[in-house]
Amino acid sequence: MNLKRKLALSDISGFALASVLVLTIFNVILQNSLLTQNSAGNALLALSSHEGVANAVTTVVVYFRGFDTLGEIAVLFIASLGIGLILENPHAKQGKKEESNFMLKTAAKLLFPIILLFGIYIMVYGHLSPGGGFQGGVIIASGVLLLLISSNNFHMPHKLIAILETFAGISYVFIGLIGLLLLDTFLGNFLPHDISQMGMLFSGGIIPIIYIIVGIKVGSEMSFIVQNLLQRGEHD
Amino acid sequence: MIGFIILFTFIALIIVAFAALVQKKLEDSIILFMGIGLGSVILFFTFNAPDVALTEAVIGSGVSTFIFLTALKHLRSEQ
Repeated sequence: MNLKRKLALSDISGFALASVLVLTIFNVILQNSLLTQNSAGNALLALSSHEGVANAVTTVVVYFRGFDTLGEIAVLFIASLGIGLILENPHAKQGKKEESNFMLKTAAKLLFPIILLFGIYIMVYGHLSPGGGFQGGVIIASGVLLLLISSNNFHMPHKLIAILETFAGISYVFIGLIGLLLLDTFLGNFLPHDISQMGMLFSGGIIPIIYIIVGIKVGSEMSFIVQNLLQRGEHD
Repeated sequence: MIGFIILFTFIALIIVAFAALVQKKLEDSIILFMGIGLGSVILFFTFNAPDVALTEAVIGSGVSTFIFLTALKHLRSEQ
């Protein structure tokens, strides 16, 4: 079959990729002491404390590179749009699925609230601890995936998801435009962001608000993608 | 100690990657690929990048495994 030839080809390319990866990794290990001394991000990391946000990576992602994050969200939106266009199956047969087993159902009931809470925690505390909107959104989407594979009669509320996603996308641009009006920079930090408040939940001005918006958008888009993939896999 | 953990994880990663390449069943390859994701989570964390580690744990070993398995199931049902 054709698959075997393709597999052999992927073996060779996989070995080549693995050797390149190993060489790079050993290079990194050998130069590790040099890397920490003169890396390009140090200037940005030193600047990040001026915004009063404890997690420097969040400051870079949402504030210094906020426009790039807007672009990334647009890319994810286009990806989910494409998946919806190609895979959405409006004539999917309902109620003919096999019953999923008892353990999966019980575990889903038990785990879904915890996963949801963990995702929201990662999202809301994105400016204090590792994580943020993207990770929290995908964690929430994985909780939705658990519900989708466990329950037979769980349907996604499409209207609600569309409203949430539209609201998140519009408010990201809207907050950026308010910053442009007040501070002459797109996504300018117009809310109070004292350094003395650093480490508190309400600190960092607009940065946590924007990360929560990103989380809502990523979560709804990823749940949409997951649901489309599952429906396609089950009904065709 | 940290260096030992890093070296051990590297060796384990290379072994798991090799095992994922030579598996007969594609399902086993996908599960081992998830193992590569988990190993790189440890590496990212020891290299002081917890944000990247979290992303890798969620996307690299969570969602991408689901997508691979769904694609495999769909391919099987088409054949």
